[in-house]
Amino acid sequence: MTAFTLSEEETQVQATARAFLRDFVDNTYLNEQEESPTGFEASRWGRMRDLGWSSVHLPARVGGADGTLVDAALITRECGRAAYASPLLQTLRSATVLDAIAADKTYDDVLAGIVGGAIATLVAPPDRTVMAESVADGFALSGPPVVVEWLAQAEWVVLVLPTVERGWLGAVVTADSFGERAVDVPSIDNERMVRLDLDGMVLPSEAVRTTDLSAEDAAYALARADLLRASAMVGGAQDVVERSATYALERHQFGQPLGKFQAVRHHLARMVIAADGAQLLCDDALNRALPGAQETAVARAALFAAGRSYMDVVLTAAQVHGGVGTTVEHVLHHHFRRAKAMQLRSGRRSSRLRELHQGLVVRREAVEGSLW
Amino acid sequence: MKTVLGPDQRSFLAELRSYLDGLDPELVESTRAENIADPMQPREHGRRFLRQLAADGWLGVSWPTEYGGQGRTEIEHWLFAEELYSRRLPNGLLTLNVIGPTLMLTGTEEQKADYLPRIINGELVFAIGYSEPDAGSDLASLRTRAVRDGDEYVVNGQKLWTTGGHVATHYWLAARTGKQEDRHRGVSLFIVPMDAPGITVTPIVTQGGERTTSVYLDDVRIPASQRIGEENEGWAAIVCALNFERMFFHNEPRWELEQLADWAREQGLLEGESADAYALQERMGEHAVDVEICRLFALRGASMLADGKVPVAEASANKIWWGELRQRICNTGLDLIGEEGAIAHGSPYAPAHGHLEHGLQSSPVWRFGGGTNEIQLDMIANQGLGMPR
Ligand SMILES: Cc1cc2nc3c(=O)[nH]c(=O)nc-3n(C[C@H](O)[C@H](O)[C@H](O)COP(=O)(O)OP(=O)(O)OC[C@H]3O[C@@H](n4cnc5c(N)ncnc54)[C@H](O)[C@@H]3O)c2cc1C
Repeated sequence: MTAFTLSEEETQVQATARAFLRDFVDNTYLNEQEESPTGFEASRWGRMRDLGWSSVHLPARVGGADGTLVDAALITRECGRAAYASPLLQTLRSATVLDAIAADKTYDDVLAGIVGGAIATLVAPPDRTVMAESVADGFALSGPPVVVEWLAQAEWVVLVLPTVERGWLGAVVTADSFGERAVDVPSIDNERMVRLDLDGMVLPSEAVRTTDLSAEDAAYALARADLLRASAMVGGAQDVVERSATYALERHQFGQPLGKFQAVRHHLARMVIAADGAQLLCDDALNRALPGAQETAVARAALFAAGRSYMDVVLTAAQVHGGVGTTVEHVLHHHFRRAKAMQLRSGRRSSRLRELHQGLVVRREAVEGSLW
Repeated sequence: MKTVLGPDQRSFLAELRSYLDGLDPELVESTRAENIADPMQPREHGRRFLRQLAADGWLGVSWPTEYGGQGRTEIEHWLFAEELYSRRLPNGLLTLNVIGPTLMLTGTEEQKADYLPRIINGELVFAIGYSEPDAGSDLASLRTRAVRDGDEYVVNGQKLWTTGGHVATHYWLAARTGKQEDRHRGVSLFIVPMDAPGITVTPIVTQGGERTTSVYLDDVRIPASQRIGEENEGWAAIVCALNFERMFFHNEPRWELEQLADWAREQGLLEGESADAYALQERMGEHAVDVEICRLFALRGASMLADGKVPVAEASANKIWWGELRQRICNTGLDLIGEEGAIAHGSPYAPAHGHLEHGLQSSPVWRFGGGTNEIQLDMIANQGLGMPR
């Protein structure tokens, strides 16, 4: 139950996505993919492209379905529910950012490529640890290494970075531009990751297609992209709550279902509150995240709440499930690891909270949309 | 994805705000001070304030026009209640928000004709008499007894925690008409004037300064026409009223967070770069997120009501979130303040205008009033998830 209603088309998007994933994703499948060399099946990626998943919210001009961020978020929510790992989230985030920061047709070639099935990934360190500085032949980058999902599998890498001089830049390079700077690292969840050392690298001028992007516009473009991750975490949390409730009815101890023990009932109720709160805020933020609306603060709030709730519910779910929840034979272990990994991909908790304080309390950015 | 808040709702809110901004400042200030001291019962100024709103047609926003209301949806009703909470002004409390709507659903035509016009005029104030010394969470074990005698009932017993018992005009009273072992199937609900012969009210003062009362009922005679619903079927009205009661909260935590922000601004911590400033900003950032969630739990309930559904597990979630958040903001807000936080409200030196300290002292009731949070969690497990009882 939410305070928001889906349109007919949106309901259709959600149902199609759920049915598609339910058809092949289960724990065994997820385990197999995690152990496979590529981490996902190219044939499934082709199917998702055919369904228009990575371009659902892109303009018709580049071949997209002209949908909204909500459509994309409903798809990532279903992927989150299924604990399904693929380059989709990164591709969607990249496309969202490019579409938002493009002046006119700046990135149409890349967006059209994404419509055609190209994988893209996004480098935009949440704690803004990498800076760009203008040099003769482009922008020199400096800062500590970052981690990037699915870079090794991607065709395009989108970079959105603050510059030393003024404003932010947007750039696109091919994934082979990094050479030994990109090293595969194991991720705690079933997504793929590289550690990318950008320090000292120069982004060539022709790669940098946007300069002088205002900090506000960059922040909003990234916040919208991050709502897709928030939505994935909301989906994950919902699945965990539902599975836990089902389990509490099935599993008996002391001659009664677990769901009769008040300690367990209260655990479950707290999980409902956590998941509902995250969903409500995510939906509110999505509802408000129209292009140009600059609803950055509430989108960031939604990202924070989704990470916190997903993490809260997996911890409690593990308790409700007892031993079985911790084995690799149970899908809960994917959710458990994904919750933490996805939360961490939003950067440092303390930085996020201070940012939220700035936006919500000091600048009262969300006041108009929140009514008070 | 659409929210139920459209341009109509926004222009309603704008209209309400400009109306409230135009009220006599003396009336507003004295009402606010009275309401901050003890929000659980409208007293001298609060009554004046509500009668003014009534005279200007602003009470009963979602009430049907046949009962003198504006005939708008529950969404506007919610906006109204929250806007007043946000200004720390009384919004009609339980009388307007709970008793009125419950009467509309469960009262007879005569009862509605008798009470609704007077509620919407701001004339009546109800106190609620459910709890007893031995019936708290286990309300179905209540012992106050109503015995039929011709056209009347004769009531004897004791109620505890009747908030507003000393200022109310009427009593919303739950009493046993059936057998003790019938539990909730032996309870009836009545309305009786607070000054009826045989009612004695004695005060109880709580640590936060809010007043509540004990009510003794000694051969109190209530006409049978004042029974709400059938004999032994009062429980439905109680449940209905409690669900309404758990729905109308959200803006108080936002207000308390603003009090903390005022203090932090004065101290240079709101935007500072020191370790203390960072600690405060992190804490406030998380509270601010939780305040937005609080808004949405309430909006969800309002949108269900507007759809003709009664929020149950959703009302419980709202009430838990609201009460715990408020308590957390007051408690951790004082932690950020430190030593000075020990100065009690009332002193001009009390930080954050004394509101966090006052709030903290009042906060226990937020977690157990209207049904304790433990009971609410059980309701979410039952109604929301289908767990066996
Ligand atoms: C300031 C104030 C104002 C109030 N105003 C009103 C009013 O206007 N009208 C009115 O009728 N009442 C009023 N109340 C009463 C209030 O609703 C009750 O206090 C509340 O219902 C809890 O009952 P209790 O205090 O007897 O606590 P108890 O029921 O004794 O509960 C004590 C603790 O035990 C827990 N507990 C009890 N049963 C269970 C269970 N089955 N499972 C798990 N935990 C359980 C509770 O959650 C709680 O933590 C007021 C109380 C106060 C203090």
